[in-house]
Amino acid sequence: MKFIIDRFDGKKNYQQTYTVEKKDIEALTLLGTLLFIKQHLDLTLNFTASCRMAICGACGVRVNGHSYLACDTKMTELFEEYKDADTFRISPLSNYTVISDLAVDWEPAIENLRKVKPGLVAKDKFSEKEGCVQNQEEYDRIVGQWDCILCGVCASECNKLSADRSDYMEPFVYTHAWKVANDSRTKDPMIHVKPSVANGLWNCVHCHECTNRCPKHISAADDIAGLRALAMKKGLNSGVGPAHAKSFYTDLVEDSGRLNEIRLALRTEGVSTVLRAGTAVTLMSAGKMNPLEIFGGHEIEGHKDLVKMIEAAHAAHKE
Amino acid sequence: MTEQFTRREFLQSACITMGALAVSTTGVEKAFAATSTSTPNTSGMPSCDVLIIGSGAAGLRAAVAARKKNPNLSVVVVSKVMPTRSATTMAEGGINGVIDFSEGDSFELHAKDTVKGGDFLVDQDTALKFANYAGAAIHELDYIGMPFSRDSKGNVDKRYAGGASKIRCNFASDKTGHILTHTCLDDALKHGVKFLMDHHMLDLSIENGHCEGVVLRNIRTGDIAPVRAKSVVLATGGYTRVFWNRTSTPYIATGDGAAAALRAGLIFKDPEMLQFHPTGVCHGGTLITEAARGEGGILLNNLGERFMKRYVPNKMELAPRDIVARSIETEIREGRAFGHDMEAYVLLDVTHLGKEKIMRNLPQIRHIGLLFENMDLVEKPIAIRPTAHYSMGGIHVTSIDTMATPAPGLFAAGEASCVSIHGANRLGGNSLCDATVTGKIAGINAAEYAAKADFGAGKRLNDLTLKWTSHFKEITGSGKGNVNDMYALREELGAANWYNMGIFRTESKLLALADKHAEFQARYDAIRIPNTNPVFNTAYTEYVELGNLLLASRAALMGATARKESRGSHFREDYLKRDDENFLKHSMVTMDESGKMHLDWKDVVVGQFKIEERKY
Ligand SMILES: Cc1cc2nc3c(=O)[nH]c(=O)nc-3n(C[C@H](O)[C@H](O)[C@H](O)COP(=O)(O)OP(=O)(O)OC[C@H]3O[C@@H](n4cnc5c(N)ncnc54)[C@H](O)[C@@H]3O)c2cc1C
Ligand code: SF4
Ligand code: SF4
Ligand code: FES
Repeated sequence: MKFIIDRFDGKKNYQQTYTVEKKDIEALTLLGTLLFIKQHLDLTLNFTASCRMAICGACGVRVNGHSYLACDTKMTELFEEYKDADTFRISPLSNYTVISDLAVDWEPAIENLRKVKPGLVAKDKFSEKEGCVQNQEEYDRIVGQWDCILCGVCASECNKLSADRSDYMEPFVYTHAWKVANDSRTKDPMIHVKPSVANGLWNCVHCHECTNRCPKHISAADDIAGLRALAMKKGLNSGVGPAHAKSFYTDLVEDSGRLNEIRLALRTEGVSTVLRAGTAVTLMSAGKMNPLEIFGGHEIEGHKDLVKMIEAAHAAHKE
Repeated sequence: MTEQFTRREFLQSACITMGALAVSTTGVEKAFAATSTSTPNTSGMPSCDVLIIGSGAAGLRAAVAARKKNPNLSVVVVSKVMPTRSATTMAEGGINGVIDFSEGDSFELHAKDTVKGGDFLVDQDTALKFANYAGAAIHELDYIGMPFSRDSKGNVDKRYAGGASKIRCNFASDKTGHILTHTCLDDALKHGVKFLMDHHMLDLSIENGHCEGVVLRNIRTGDIAPVRAKSVVLATGGYTRVFWNRTSTPYIATGDGAAAALRAGLIFKDPEMLQFHPTGVCHGGTLITEAARGEGGILLNNLGERFMKRYVPNKMELAPRDIVARSIETEIREGRAFGHDMEAYVLLDVTHLGKEKIMRNLPQIRHIGLLFENMDLVEKPIAIRPTAHYSMGGIHVTSIDTMATPAPGLFAAGEASCVSIHGANRLGGNSLCDATVTGKIAGINAAEYAAKADFGAGKRLNDLTLKWTSHFKEITGSGKGNVNDMYALREELGAANWYNMGIFRTESKLLALADKHAEFQARYDAIRIPNTNPVFNTAYTEYVELGNLLLASRAALMGATARKESRGSHFREDYLKRDDENFLKHSMVTMDESGKMHLDWKDVVVGQFKIEERKY
């Protein structure tokens, strides 16, 4: 079987095809397959890996355009997913600068992380000498986001980043901001919310691609919604994002609450309104809007349509 | 303390712009002159005040400590991978440190368990100080944002760890290391620590006994350059990859720091003390951590027997690692295991804990079972066998008060260092706090030193850089070589070390291994890498790492051969007893310019804990 790998040698991009026997790799993970190719066929092939147990985040790559954690993906799963295909296309994560072959540059992402001040500033009642106190409920509220391994899969899938990364950050950066802003030990959530707002929080188009593929089942999209709700609650509600949010909210609430009415809103208000559709989701999670009322039927179904619309709007916007 | 860096500022001030050997044109020096407190560096080399190599818990804590100690100093962390890809991230079980004294636990008891667990090769004064610091470290981690699992009162939760007389292993589900790393990274970002990722330290320069800097290779560009620093902290982690595929550690644990120290004439202490963890998955050695046994998991042989009752009836599965690992290997050797040879295994059973408890407290472990063995440990027991896990040995450090090596300006911390906390066997949960505690101490002292010191002359550093530049050309230059030479050799080295210097050691096996090492070294020297591209040439990185593994293997072998006794993880079938008369001593390996290794000994510091037989 064949692996077509996107390569970059520092100067030029090209593709290279490697042929391997299925029996040599079928018991392996995707990382195992990459190692097999490097160690038996071509040691110039570059990728990164460290823990091989799905915790260090080093091995994100794309297979047939979709992002995976290589060490956490068994070849048998890929065979199943792609109906026994005998050719796979492997590429580096999207939305990162490629350094070489499948290895990408993490430095800008780390600098983005720095912007939201991910370090906790604990409440005055806590001390370095005695630590903090946190009850189970408070702990449960943040522990999911702590699973983030900085693998970059969400960023690779992010439509907003693909469209324009000049005014946006990697989805996991907002997840980091959310987890610390939402921590019961924090002195002031705004330490993290403000820089999030200043660095693109309102530009998420809520396509939920980040959520769909995160190997740790984290929803950066929800965390973004949560941060927005927090920002609005704390009075950070001037500016383009929140303004659009309000008008869109009015549209949705004032109309009959049916999906085609949203399309109507799209026609009358133009594309940019829908680009802010994420706000609706924000408001839903803030408990201000019942999604079931708006879309009728099942939440997920309605949501799918919404995602599709945003994508369409997005594509139109790009043209 | 500046918290905000634009990317440009970051590059400017971290500014070890590699490839900028002719620095005068880059303005690097100007950037540094502004941040440096003492005489500016005039040699034209990139430089900074405190240079930290490694970004595991030890490196990250060192960096923050240095920044806090003296915010005027430039502090740069260099790592061959991104900060969160280190061994620290992989730790699952927990981190020791007494914070609850209500059940009679104390720092002294923690120290005592550590000394006993280490089979009395521990320096006792060090162990006592360590236990004190460990307790404080837990609160500090909590304060900087680490989300520990909580008990019913909202305090940090703790579980049992092997070899401990009290429950003092604090944890964050079964992802303690991952959560610790990310907490430390967040804190480092908060304190304005700068990072140079994808930079590989090739060598360390000691001139006139002082450390003057390191040679770095920018993996991204291939540029090799000297970097001068007033003080350097080595936090490069362990060298258990000497057993290549039979270890739980990440691919990066290749002992680069210890090897560089050896080449620079420093001491590699207790190199033979390599720990085997009893429960690795059968394929590839990935860990099923102690947490599984801590939560109540049991070990079974092919007769369905809970065989630990034969070895340590009162502790059973919770005996220290070396003992459990040997018990499993004994079951395997005596035919009471499943499978054969390298594929032999026994079973670890947690099913009786119930799904809910497994999902809550052991989710990561369950995931690993599924990934590597296709086994869901909620439903059935999982196949395991011992795997190499931790390096007790490391760069000789003179005292836990400073974490300084004998070379002024050079500090070491974490698994790369050996200040004799763990002796001949490390207790579960003691290494995360070793990295956290010793990293901090090293950082503080490196900052203190840098504030007073001047840059070295840099001559030797320059020579070393030229040597490495031509080495790269020589090894990759022709573009010739067989793709598999290096990787096959790496596997062979791992297997030879495992069979001859693994859980059971004998004189004849060790002597045979010496011959093997000589053969491997010759083969290594003949390897050429068929990749001339300097950009992200990972094959060359792996080549350098393999060289370091060979060095570390030779040092370990030297110690293992000379230590004619059984102590902790070092088990000699031809000398079954511990011999305190002759070997209550640290082995101190050095290497001369010709590459010949020498062995010396240093007495263990004995204190209030009586040397006695280690019984559980
Ligand atoms: C699977 C597993 C489970 C574990 N569980 C536990 C546990 O439950 N409790 C516990 O206490 N301990 C545990 N440990 C041990 C513990 O995680 C490590 O010993 C400890 O984290 C080491 O930290 P460190 O900072 O010294 O080194 P590491 O975390 O290994 O960091 C080394 C750093 O040095 C860098 N580096 C290395 N060489 C170079 C070079 N040449 N140039 C530049 N950079 C370099 C690496 O990139 C890395 O960033 C476990 C270890 C493993 C592998
Ligand atoms: S949020 Fe998920 S996909 Fe994104 S970096 Fe974290 S773990 Fe990876
Ligand atoms: S929901 Fe937002 S963050 Fe997630 S992929 Fe879509 S645009 Fe990116
Ligand atoms: S290698 Fe660490 S997550 Fe895949």
